[in-house]
Amino acid sequence: MFQTTGCVYKVSSSVRLSSSWFVEGLPLVLADPAQAYAQFAGAPLKLRKISNPWRSPSGFLPALRTNGKETLSRPSDIIIHLRKQKYNADFDLSAKEGADSLAFISLMEEKLMPALVRKPTRLVRKTFPHTKHGSCFQIYAFWIEPKNYVDVTRCWYAAHMPFPLNFFLPGRMQRQQLEKLRLLRGDEGLEAGEDLEKELYRDAAECMNLLSQRLGSQKFFFGDSPSSLDAYVFGHLAPILKSKLPNGKLQQHLKSLDNLTNFCTNILLLYFPRDGQESSGPKGSSQPEGGDFDHVPHKRRKQFLSALVALGAMLSYAFMTGMVSIQHIQQEALEEPPDLQPLGSHEEEGDG
Amino acid sequence: MSLAAEAFVSQMAAAEPWPENATLYQPLKEDQILLSDCASSLAVQAYLRMCGLPVQVVCRANAEYMSPSGKIPFIHVGNQVVSELGPIVQFTKAKGHSLSDGLDDVQRAEMKAYMELVNNMLLTAELYIQWCDEATAAEISRPRYSSPYSWPLSRILSYQKQWEVRRKINAIGWGGKTLEQVYEDVSQCCQALSQRLGTQPYFFNKQPTELDALVFGHLFTILTTRLTNSELAERIKSYSNLLSFCRRIEQTYFEDKSS
Repeated sequence: MFQTTGCVYKVSSSVRLSSSWFVEGLPLVLADPAQAYAQFAGAPLKLRKISNPWRSPSGFLPALRTNGKETLSRPSDIIIHLRKQKYNADFDLSAKEGADSLAFISLMEEKLMPALVRKPTRLVRKTFPHTKHGSCFQIYAFWIEPKNYVDVTRCWYAAHMPFPLNFFLPGRMQRQQLEKLRLLRGDEGLEAGEDLEKELYRDAAECMNLLSQRLGSQKFFFGDSPSSLDAYVFGHLAPILKSKLPNGKLQQHLKSLDNLTNFCTNILLLYFPRDGQESSGPKGSSQPEGGDFDHVPHKRRKQFLSALVALGAMLSYAFMTGMVSIQHIQQEALEEPPDLQPLGSHEEEGDG
Repeated sequence: MSLAAEAFVSQMAAAEPWPENATLYQPLKEDQILLSDCASSLAVQAYLRMCGLPVQVVCRANAEYMSPSGKIPFIHVGNQVVSELGPIVQFTKAKGHSLSDGLDDVQRAEMKAYMELVNNMLLTAELYIQWCDEATAAEISRPRYSSPYSWPLSRILSYQKQWEVRRKINAIGWGGKTLEQVYEDVSQCCQALSQRLGTQPYFFNKQPTELDALVFGHLFTILTTRLTNSELAERIKSYSNLLSFCRRIEQTYFEDKSS
């Protein structure tokens, strides 16, 4: 179920956050730590779903609009803003734990995370780090892996973009992502081949193993309450866990790490109860239910619009070939008193 | 390196002991080497010294082109060539020399995470300052980088390199940063390292690991290199435990040779 396309949160009419946060099935534009963070910190935000990134106030997703008319778009900036407003998930971390979160976020950015997140700069602890290699993996899984790209990502984008854009934007986005991957791996002759795939999967799997080792049997990474690191890990792993990509090696690997899977499901249940229900359907939360990839938002509106367009086309054809003519009817209606002839005869005259 | 090649190398590596004539290649120390390369090279040297593996440092003007991955430094051991710290650590491990054996799973995960932190922030910041700060690039990086070559080639190569690095920096989203923001990031990274180190002699207590080598390589190089301004070094100097950490490693592993 692709429902949850993008989102805006609104704080008691003062703050709005739009993000592309796909709980399930999602070519996630952005797995969004900012949103998870907001949930953990208890910030009263309201979600608004949008499917076209260009409709977000900043042109990127997610975006947060504050009552000061400010638009924040980087997850890190959003988190800093929320911190300033006294919504902070990291109050009870010691200095060392803060340093550890910074390090693990680096690890994920390097090994796992997508550079999809344009500039993940400052997260919590004033700054969290920065993609150096942006996560090659998700770029690969969603954009380069031929099967996933053709079957899911491209279809998804094509279905969710407005009409003329959907023909060329997905292809262009794929080329951009491939280019990015090339730069990050420092390999000019990069092809979407076997070796690359293995290498990326290996890195990503290693990263997951390390996270799993660090988590151990704890409920959250640092004690009993979630921190920004939990938000970060969840924001990136949950989409992998919930997506229904045809080539789901990484998902299989993630599922084999029980503690990480539980960690994601727990957070989903605790902090995203509605999304959780929506996405997990009848409780079996991590079971993909076979693809209904054809779900499109605003279905009614689109049906209505297409009916309208079809009607318009039919009418204009009728006018152009002269089957119907309004002017004649009106002129003749003016010339002759309306009562004298039944309406049908006017149309016949119009034909001639 | 492809997976098959990697597996082959580690198999080969296990068969032979560490030879006496292992060599580490880097660019010319006086005229050519740049901050980031020098830091990576020093990290590898520190790592090998911590392992107690002898290596001879050789400076070559074309080291960058000799390296299998195009990155500096690389080592030549027996009939194998391995570049960069990560693969070198793997390689020595295959030969039975490892610094991280005594760590448990959690610690090993943390060590990897901190190593990525250093690569992510310090190394990128060094690259940014070298090539994206126009003053540094014009005054130091381009002339030094192209010093072995004569006129038309020197300009072409140095601009090509600068263009390449800038593209990379843009791809990772650092392109829009100001110098001040980069310094701020370095501070954040050092603060994290300093908090993690605390009062211990090494990051994981008594024994040095590859993380210690990496951190030492970068911090020591930044502290001892003169740039157009000393802001970068100043940022590090405010963390006294990192300074004494650098001094400790220098004394323990590098002193005997320099004196």
